[in-house]
Amino acid sequence: MRLYEYEGKEIFTRAGIPVPQGALVRTANEAWGEATRLDKQMVVKAQILGGGRGLAGGIKVAETAEQAGKIAQKLLTTKLKESHVDCLLVEEKLDIAREVYMSITVDRSRGGIVAMVSAEGGVAIEEVAKRNPNKIFSFLINPLYGLRGYEAINLVRQIGLGGEHLTTSARILSRLYQAFISCDARLIEVNPLVITSEGEMVAADARVEIDDNSLFKHPELQERHLQRIDNVWDREAVSGGVNYVDLEGNIAVMANGAGLAMALLDMVKDGGGSPACFLETGGGLSKQRMKNGVRLLLKKAKADPRIKVILVMARMMISPPDDVAEGLMEAIREVEVNTPVVAVMRGRKPYEQRAKELLKDSGVPIYSDLQEGIRQSIKLAKRED
Amino acid sequence: MKILVDKNTNVLVQGITGRLGALQTKLMLDYGTKIVAGVTPGKGGQTQFNVPVYDSVAEAMSHHQIDASVVYVPAPFVEEAVFEAVDAGVSFLVIITDWVPLHSELKIKAYASVKGVRYVGPNTPGIMIPGQTSLGMISDSAVMPGNVAIVSRSGSLSDEVAAHLSEKGIGQSLVVGIGGDPVVGMSMVDFLKLLKEDERTKGAVIVGEIGGTVEEEVAAYIETEFGKPAVAFVAGRSAPPNRVMGHAGAIITGGRGTAQSKIAAFQKAGVKVAKTLWEIPLLVKEWA
Repeated sequence: MRLYEYEGKEIFTRAGIPVPQGALVRTANEAWGEATRLDKQMVVKAQILGGGRGLAGGIKVAETAEQAGKIAQKLLTTKLKESHVDCLLVEEKLDIAREVYMSITVDRSRGGIVAMVSAEGGVAIEEVAKRNPNKIFSFLINPLYGLRGYEAINLVRQIGLGGEHLTTSARILSRLYQAFISCDARLIEVNPLVITSEGEMVAADARVEIDDNSLFKHPELQERHLQRIDNVWDREAVSGGVNYVDLEGNIAVMANGAGLAMALLDMVKDGGGSPACFLETGGGLSKQRMKNGVRLLLKKAKADPRIKVILVMARMMISPPDDVAEGLMEAIREVEVNTPVVAVMRGRKPYEQRAKELLKDSGVPIYSDLQEGIRQSIKLAKRED
Repeated sequence: MKILVDKNTNVLVQGITGRLGALQTKLMLDYGTKIVAGVTPGKGGQTQFNVPVYDSVAEAMSHHQIDASVVYVPAPFVEEAVFEAVDAGVSFLVIITDWVPLHSELKIKAYASVKGVRYVGPNTPGIMIPGQTSLGMISDSAVMPGNVAIVSRSGSLSDEVAAHLSEKGIGQSLVVGIGGDPVVGMSMVDFLKLLKEDERTKGAVIVGEIGGTVEEEVAAYIETEFGKPAVAFVAGRSAPPNRVMGHAGAIITGGRGTAQSKIAAFQKAGVKVAKTLWEIPLLVKEWA
């Protein structure tokens, strides 16, 4: 789950990492009020989740409170990178002497947490990574011992910080690590970390992503996570515990397990079919997940006549066939739609037979041969088209 | 030679009284897995399918010789369960549970490495030596004993690939899924190193998917070290870029981790890449 900049800055403030003065506002009037209170040069920053916000015009400088109000009015009523802007940060404009970069993230190939720092921060950080990789320094943190103060100092020394800047930035890095741990993050990034002309260090931006598997420890975030999904199908998928991706074609494809579902998608496409979407329920298929998945696809087919066939594959490893069959039938009974469903049921031999038996009057053709099931659904999709 | 486990391996089940743990224990016992004990705190003294249940791993270890543990406890308790097993002296673990918090996975990885413990998972279907033992949920009817190893990143897809080989009369020496999460224990290359030394194994089927760079590393190892034939399958050729498809692992970033880059790496290493699942046995037949 990716957090908004203002939420990231709330985490920073709690962790003792300095952020610019300012406040979150939801109306032009509030923006004017905050600007009046700040009474200096300001930036107005649209709060959206996608990248490239600055280039898209989501960050503006204001000289006066009136100007801040006008900018806010405009940002709050236009779409930015296809997102509605619900709120803005109105902050003091920092007097920048230098910009550096800091992050804590997970390096999957090394299987550990890494702290990264760069002597150059700002919008071009990825360019720096490509052009000048030797300007970026990293340190592998052992999560059993955490990040020691001297380790932080040794790391930030490499980007040429000295004196008070050295100790301050090392302290900021240590606090970022503590925040990374306490909020179960998969990424915390400060880009840029500004050194002002007065010599202060301030986190001008905050990017925080929380590990989705840890959201149960943060119920307030879990709730927000669901509220923030705009697309009705995505929301139904998340609340039903399944993964769903919209595609262009006319065969809705579902399977248990991401690898299997992707393989099925590839084989439908290779066979001349055109997948309309991808849905996977996780490897161990429960009755509820089966039902949630099929129901979502049936509802989608009802709303979207483009979908001609629903192809469901169940690899029954541990899932009892009664659960799989019942989940499928309950979904079909709940959603009235004429779109044909083709099912491929494979797994332990007795499971295959039992599932077939349970579904023999369902009107759903059941295949235990994968190739045959795929071929049939492609044929059906062409006929219905 | 055995690949980590065989029919004589004494197995502990952590979370043996839970819904999934119980269901699985029954299936593993039916297959012949030598389950000697189970652990569920608070349920010590009970039995599950005649297997004695203990309150702690240490207690189970004091009554039994235990060579491996299969972990079925719910995600929030996995870290605790694994640390407990490692501290009690268990030297090999299979962590089946999915949705495990990332930070738990990181701590498990670091602790296992300090203690010299090997583990598979989390989010794995487990490891199976057909005809001998099963630690996990790979289905008995998908597999048959033989001399081709299947090393996979995915769960249900490993089962499906095994079924395609078995249906064509090709048996397996090992079926394993390494786990679908970004931070897992033993890697595909770790398994290939064991298979290189295993006389029974003639070659390997590598089942990969988009995201990460595991397949590229495997291709490099096969090209220079493996010394046995291999066939690969890469799921997700037609997946749109930059979307998460279930596994946190299946995120495509930049040019790395795409199906194209993986397929190219395998081809460069002289590994034939099957386009469909039913093509896998045909390619394996060339050497098995």
